[in-house]
Amino acid sequence: MPGKTIVITSGKGGVGKTTTVANLGTALAMRGLSVVMIDADIGLRNLDVVMGLENRIVYNVVDVIEGRCRLEQAMIRDRKINSLYLIPAAQTRDKDSVMPEAMKRLCDQLAENFDYVLIDCPAGIEQGFRNAIAGAQKALIVTTPEVSAIRDADRVIGLLEANMLKDIHLIINRVNQKMIKRGDMMSTEDICSLLSIPLIGIIPESEEVVISTNRGVPLVHDRKSQVAAAFKRIAGRLEGENIPIPLDNHEGSLLSKVKKIFGAG
Amino acid sequence: MDNREPTAVAVQIRAQRDGQFVFVLDPSLPFQMILRYLEKRWEESNKFFRSAKIVIDLGLRPFRFDEILALRDLLKNKWHATITELRLGHRFDSFFEWASRQIGIPIHQIPIQEKEPEPVIIRQTCRSGTRVEAPQDCIVLGDVNPGAEVIAGRDIIVFGVLRGMAHAGAYGNTAAKIWALSIEPSQIRIADLVAIPPRQDKSSLQSKRYEVAEVRDGQIQVISF
Ligand SMILES: Nc1ncnc2c1ncn2[C@@H]1O[C@H](COP(=O)(O)OP(=O)(O)O)[C@@H](O)[C@H]1O
Ligand SMILES: [Mg+2]
Repeated sequence: MPGKTIVITSGKGGVGKTTTVANLGTALAMRGLSVVMIDADIGLRNLDVVMGLENRIVYNVVDVIEGRCRLEQAMIRDRKINSLYLIPAAQTRDKDSVMPEAMKRLCDQLAENFDYVLIDCPAGIEQGFRNAIAGAQKALIVTTPEVSAIRDADRVIGLLEANMLKDIHLIINRVNQKMIKRGDMMSTEDICSLLSIPLIGIIPESEEVVISTNRGVPLVHDRKSQVAAAFKRIAGRLEGENIPIPLDNHEGSLLSKVKKIFGAG
Repeated sequence: MDNREPTAVAVQIRAQRDGQFVFVLDPSLPFQMILRYLEKRWEESNKFFRSAKIVIDLGLRPFRFDEILALRDLLKNKWHATITELRLGHRFDSFFEWASRQIGIPIHQIPIQEKEPEPVIIRQTCRSGTRVEAPQDCIVLGDVNPGAEVIAGRDIIVFGVLRGMAHAGAYGNTAAKIWALSIEPSQIRIADLVAIPPRQDKSSLQSKRYEVAEVRDGQIQVISF
């Protein structure tokens, strides 16, 4: 059976797509699954930097599609996990050189040999979005709880639906429980009811993310991290495991309350 | 003069495959706001539209000869752009009026069909960025999200939550109403009245079945049932 091809996208840039691809890809590969990540976005920090693989790039996805190299030559193996690969992004801005059909053929070819093909996609308003979604059967939309990010996510869901990509799940990133409690941030329930697509995970806001990005080692390698646990749960849900989603993460807040009571005594 | 700042996009701009641009004018905004919006776009777009070929799509906006001339002059003199085509939407009355004044003979249009236009039915949630225009009634089987716009000549009926902009009676029919399972604080308009419904507490949300916005005593009021 061919693998699953999943595109990770958002309405706004900088909401955590690349972070999600790196951590989700690693989490799936840690379960023993074979995973290839395609970087279709040229952001501030590319997927190769987040994975700590930027020094190994020779060929990129456009080279493969335009036949300048064989597929295997552009695939970079992860430093830690043998079943995890990255196909880096082209470093030029003319992303229109890739046609949607070519991208679809590449994804189909990869899905023959891998359990998961994850595509780091540009935000919906950017160039290259149509190419990046062409080969995917499933989409994960990343949003932060900010009103503007949610509104743009809504627009991209409409775009995906118009492009006949209807299997869409939501990831809410950078959730700050304290702010939600104070009423300074939209609750996850409100976000879900507005976007009306199923939720597949909530990632807390944490400075660990930035630190791990700078080190070039995905956070899921860190056993103690809450963010890592959240990404591993998403990997489990993608694999069909029934892991309930703690809405507004009451498990975490309960723990901190208990700590406070002890600390005060 | 109306000094309101355009809240929404007064002119939707689409690029056609042949390189021409289609400018869709908002039917509900005063012409001065359209002009101001275009001037703003011109300044922001860094001469992007210089020498462009432009199709003016009036949509549901009534034809006004002076407006078209003003638009043509603005685009020609300032943008060096040409209007290549004028598209009239569903409303021809004002066009015939102008034409009959030109020839000095009253023009009478033979009605093509007696029956009313069918309601426009949208069978999905209107997400941010969608814009729906209906000559008469509009029915949405889903939510209307923030950033979406629904404009109708008569009533708007939303079988879902209204969180985006809804404009009923867009050509001045103050008897038009907006129906929704819940009307949340978004901008609603009926004819030329504008209102922002207040935020409600959660307890009242649970008991109500639906809400209706209508004009009473010259004001838009939202009534819960
Ligand atoms: N959960 C999080 N907590 C804190 N910072 C985060 C989190 N997720 C992402 N970031 C930071 O936000 C920035 C943008 O993330 P990135 O994944 O590059 O977004 P995108 O790929 O959508 O542009 C990065 O600096 C990243 O470290
Ligand atoms: Mg990115």
